[in-house]
Amino acid sequence: MVTTIIRRAYSRFATSVLDIPPRLLAFLFLLLFLFLPITRPSSRILLILISTQIMAIFAVSWDLLVGRSGQFSLGHSLFFGVGAYASALLSKQFFELPLWATIPLSMIICALVALFVGILCRRMRGSYLALVTLALPLILTVAFISLPATIAGGENGISGLPLFFPREFFIERGFNWKEALYQQYLAQYYLTLLVMFVSCYILYRIAYSKTGIILVSILDDEVASKASGINTTKYKLMAFVISGLFAGLAGSLYAHSKISEGTVGPAGTLALTVSFMPVMMTVLGGIGTIYGPILGAYIITILGEYLRVIGEWRLLIYITIVILFIVKWPTGIARYATEKFEDLQEERELEEREKKKKEKK
Amino acid sequence: MPLLEVENLTKRFGGLTAVNGVSFEVNEGEIVGLIGPNGAGKTTLFHLITGILKPDSGTVKFKGEDVTGLDPYKIVNKGIARTFQVVRPFRHLPTIANVMVPCLSPRVKKKIEWLKSPERKALDMLEEVGLSDLMLEPAANVSHGDLKRLEIARALAAEPDLLLLDEPFGGLNPIETDFLIKSIQRFYLDGYTMVIVEHKLYALMKLAKRVIVLHYGEKIAEGSPKEVSKNKKVIEVYMGKVA
Repeated sequence: MVTTIIRRAYSRFATSVLDIPPRLLAFLFLLLFLFLPITRPSSRILLILISTQIMAIFAVSWDLLVGRSGQFSLGHSLFFGVGAYASALLSKQFFELPLWATIPLSMIICALVALFVGILCRRMRGSYLALVTLALPLILTVAFISLPATIAGGENGISGLPLFFPREFFIERGFNWKEALYQQYLAQYYLTLLVMFVSCYILYRIAYSKTGIILVSILDDEVASKASGINTTKYKLMAFVISGLFAGLAGSLYAHSKISEGTVGPAGTLALTVSFMPVMMTVLGGIGTIYGPILGAYIITILGEYLRVIGEWRLLIYITIVILFIVKWPTGIARYATEKFEDLQEERELEEREKKKKEKK
Repeated sequence: MPLLEVENLTKRFGGLTAVNGVSFEVNEGEIVGLIGPNGAGKTTLFHLITGILKPDSGTVKFKGEDVTGLDPYKIVNKGIARTFQVVRPFRHLPTIANVMVPCLSPRVKKKIEWLKSPERKALDMLEEVGLSDLMLEPAANVSHGDLKRLEIARALAAEPDLLLLDEPFGGLNPIETDFLIKSIQRFYLDGYTMVIVEHKLYALMKLAKRVIVLHYGEKIAEGSPKEVSKNKKVIEVYMGKVA
């Protein structure tokens, strides 16, 4: 009985959308995207979706760190970059490991880097933490550019990385050259969709677990959390490691997908703009919710494609959106919509109660 | 052996000596009152005992073990829990989750018999203080008086051997005050050892068997409530010198 009460508490805390349990919604979402390819979308659309799916993992990993444990990281591109570069170094530059090996190894390397960063930042708060994390990917960028090209590829980065499902894979199975390319896009689409789903599910389960409660307590009041007997440093590091692990996964997927076309360089992985992406997506979608950043990822990436015509001015639009949301809808779209819906429901219930009273008379 | 031994604790903040050579003991099962005018160093003393501040000199011994200056979470896990003068709830969490946090600490996880889940224990604690119908309410929406009770529920949930209450009666109306007096009397019968800082002297004198008086960081009196209220120095400190 107690567990059902608690489950109700969790769901109220989680907020269900439109009276549909979140699980059902997520399942419908998955079905939609599983069957989307029936409509034979162009490679361009598939590419956009692959990018979205990878960015969703990246954004959710950021949300776990910031929206749940309260450690504001403005340099999340560090983990994305480390993941991407680790994959590059393992699969091309130094070794030639197969993809099923490079990806987990990159994730582990990223987790270790995240542990290091977490330990570095364990006593920092607010602005200081933000500034230090902001600087880290920039420092790494300089390091990679300065090192000889044989080590880290210099300014242009490392090229020629193996991609998921290379064309040859499909040609062997009887597809012609052109069709094989499309099949590659399709295969990468499904792969990243699946990985996104599993990753986000894992992160969701962590965030809405008892560990998640502890993380929120640290976010709300670290002193009070310590006064409740919690080793806050341990949990803060845990949040960093998990966040780094999945951000590294995103970077790794990026490196081996059609989005990077097999080239990993500092501009596409460690840049400030890359750090900014999960911030935008999460603020838009709803910080702390875990499902909000997924929504934000879809909106921002798709919007970004249509704004490509105005080139770098995109950034101005993005910044405007972020500021607008922080001012008007700080809890994000997902929360704002559900709150509004709950208000409507309350009004409906009140009206019904009034009606019943009148009928009794 | 006394449960808590505070010896010669001193804490300076630049030129200000907030706590100056304070020593006292607390025995198991006692309720000790800690009073003094504002700025006397009572809350600072609590911070020193619980590890939030490190003393410049002096020691804190708990159950015979030196715990001076340990990390606060470690001290909680040794059995000292406290409430804060200005409530510090976890605003994003519902009240039951607030009380669940200490239930997830290493100490309580060990102590809970396998039959009880952290949720069950949290619910029990809420019932102890009479907040069980606010179980699912986000702490941000809860009234001040109820937040004070939540603080106490959270401290109790940490399964403490020593409970430090910092102005638990602050901001409570007469009904809430009465309920809290009865609750503390119940805790006493349950065997909790408590040190209570309080300005509402009529409530404190009812509960405490022994009272310590601080003034400008120094202990100026110690004794039963009656003795202390008749002490010349104490009266002077609270009322001012009689011309």
